[in-house]
Amino acid sequence: MSRLVLLAFCTALFIAGTAAAKPGDADKGKEIYDKRCTWCHGAEGDGAGAAKDMLNPPPRDFTSGNYKIKTSSFEDMTPNDDDIFRMIRDGMPGTSMPGWSDVLKEQDMWNLVAYVKTFAGFDKPPATQVDFGTRISSSAESIEKGRKLYEDGDRCVECHGKSGKGSASKRLKGDAGERTWPRNLTKPWTFRGSDDPKDIFARISTGIAGTEMPSFADPKSKKKLTVEERWHVANYVASLAKTGRKVDADNTVVKADKLQGDLPNTPDDARWEKSTPTTFYLVPQLIGEERYFKPSNDTITVRALYNDKAIAMLLEWDDRTRSIPGDETAEKLADAPIAEDGVAVQLPVTIPKEMQKPYFGMGDAARPVNIWHWKSGAKDAAESINLLNSRGFKEIEKRDAVAAGLNAKASYSDGTWKVLITRPLTTSSPEKDVQFTEGKFIPVAFAAWDGSNNGEKGSKHTMTTWYWLLLKPASGYKPLVAALMVMGLFAGGLLWWVRRARNPAG
Amino acid sequence: MTQKRRIPRLLQFALVVFGVYFGFILVFDVLLGQLIPRSLLTMYMVFVVSGALMAFTFTEEGAHELVAPIKALVEDPSKRKLRNAVFVIVPLLAGYYTYTSMLPGFEAPVELRTIHPAPPSKFKAYGKSYNLTTLENPLRKYQKEDPVKFRELVKAGGEVYIKNCQYCHGDKLDGKGPYAVGLNPTPANFQDVGTIAQLQESFLFWRIATGGPGLPAEAAPWISSMPVWENFLTEEETWEVILFLYDYTGRQPRSWK
Repeated sequence: MSRLVLLAFCTALFIAGTAAAKPGDADKGKEIYDKRCTWCHGAEGDGAGAAKDMLNPPPRDFTSGNYKIKTSSFEDMTPNDDDIFRMIRDGMPGTSMPGWSDVLKEQDMWNLVAYVKTFAGFDKPPATQVDFGTRISSSAESIEKGRKLYEDGDRCVECHGKSGKGSASKRLKGDAGERTWPRNLTKPWTFRGSDDPKDIFARISTGIAGTEMPSFADPKSKKKLTVEERWHVANYVASLAKTGRKVDADNTVVKADKLQGDLPNTPDDARWEKSTPTTFYLVPQLIGEERYFKPSNDTITVRALYNDKAIAMLLEWDDRTRSIPGDETAEKLADAPIAEDGVAVQLPVTIPKEMQKPYFGMGDAARPVNIWHWKSGAKDAAESINLLNSRGFKEIEKRDAVAAGLNAKASYSDGTWKVLITRPLTTSSPEKDVQFTEGKFIPVAFAAWDGSNNGEKGSKHTMTTWYWLLLKPASGYKPLVAALMVMGLFAGGLLWWVRRARNPAG
Repeated sequence: MTQKRRIPRLLQFALVVFGVYFGFILVFDVLLGQLIPRSLLTMYMVFVVSGALMAFTFTEEGAHELVAPIKALVEDPSKRKLRNAVFVIVPLLAGYYTYTSMLPGFEAPVELRTIHPAPPSKFKAYGKSYNLTTLENPLRKYQKEDPVKFRELVKAGGEVYIKNCQYCHGDKLDGKGPYAVGLNPTPANFQDVGTIAQLQESFLFWRIATGGPGLPAEAAPWISSMPVWENFLTEEETWEVILFLYDYTGRQPRSWK
């Protein structure tokens, strides 16, 4: 009996884990395709739908026959039906392709698979498959072996960087000639085919069709890896993806701890390690002219510390290029013209007492905002911190950052910018500058620019909506005093009771 | 009088109160998987405790029996050690509770907003004034008059949608576009029966044309990420995209009739 249960359980697991290919009906698939898919992939399947120029990555051109996420061998262009099915069912993280399993029935999705294959004329299943061998589960030893293979001869480092953030050392392009960037391996939520080591193994084995990611199973490759070695690399890559910089949707507060003594004055000061990081999603600016559609970065991590005099904020975000206009190395990596990288912090001039805040897009007529805008500098100009007061997109006043005591210091290393901005808690012009107060929830928003990506500049940038900044007050003496008073009251009451019980007469 | 071994009444009372307390937690937090709000639980427990007290002190004898162990603790000289311990522990617990409850909290303030605010009777967009009580989609008539033209208009609306709206509202119109995770409040889900199916097309026109900043104060216009679409779309495109929203979701707009 128990064996039967076990068998049933294993079968269920097997069915859940692998989508068993079912024959699809291409004609029925076309009906669904014409309603749901043409908008991006085009009526002819050539990726030329209405949204084509606004999406990054662009919608797949099914006529090219290049399938990026597949498990047939690198020598075989044809994907498995199951590979296409998975992309339709689960979608592709980090792209505009959603998973369709909540809208389409399973058979509908198989019908779509059948239709989509016709665009490239795939009529036979692939002849050869990725050899997964025996899966080597992750362990410290396997990860260490993987790290060596990853770094050996710059095998993976060449494009993905030592940190895995894809800091660029060479210019990459896709099959349509477009500038492409290597995957940031520390952001598992952007892995198109999931961050399961088995999927990473498949990517390493097949390469990614239509990009410069090669197959490391190809015996002709100088950098080839055995099956076992590929498992180690997959485990290492999966370990890079374990990051503390993941967004926690429930945490909307940047908590500044109070320090006794001086604040850190460099981005790499060891004391930052002890502060609390908070990560937010960045989205492209889509509310004001000129809108921006193809961002390269999706998160920013913020830390803050303060003392009696000043506040320090550390802004950290991944950027594959250190964009310095006029700099030869920087210009080699990206399409000219490049602009400065940048980051900005937005705060209300007056901390709202009620719920109403300034408009999150640079304030409004009645409620202005302070904007601290750091820029990376050009070949002939140093990095700079700028102070702006704005009442909406159009009414922007440039102010003297030095006079307000605003300071910034930046470092760039292996695909990550860290910018430290400090300001005194109070300034001499409280009508124009936010005055930081302990224990108050202060609205705060952020923006970032990648000057090497699709001309990010001016209004073309990524941004957050309003979140909160809290200068965590030292708890002070009040709770302690109150606790002592309550203890006294209880003890006194009990004693009185005992006395009365023994001397009922009083 | 028969000697029966029974649980002391004070312990019975404690068992009833704690039993109910953990029962609530078991049913809501564990079985239903829905955390019972602490404030609600506190309120329920006030009723439970006072109810139990009433039941346990219904007769004078019962009341006497209930407080007997407590009285004994205070009055009985043989319980001196226990009494001293209780008299130290109780004030300490009270002090600890006071201390922790007075420490400052770091939870973000709750922001309440009306999701579907009452529309104004008139609003301005495209340099004109619209009367929301009489405004109708000028393209709706083609659904009956000229189905071919209607299909074209819906398709045009779909293209407007995919180029402008899907980033937040999603390919599936479910409010889960690629950038939805970065927004608060989250984008509207048009597939939900509580959104466009409950609204007139004129309401949608108002919401699209004037965007977040066009909301009344109770709907917190300062945090809405909805752009002011009269800056990006023509009046015709706005009506087309409204046709598309209803067509794709298979919902019907509400009408005045």
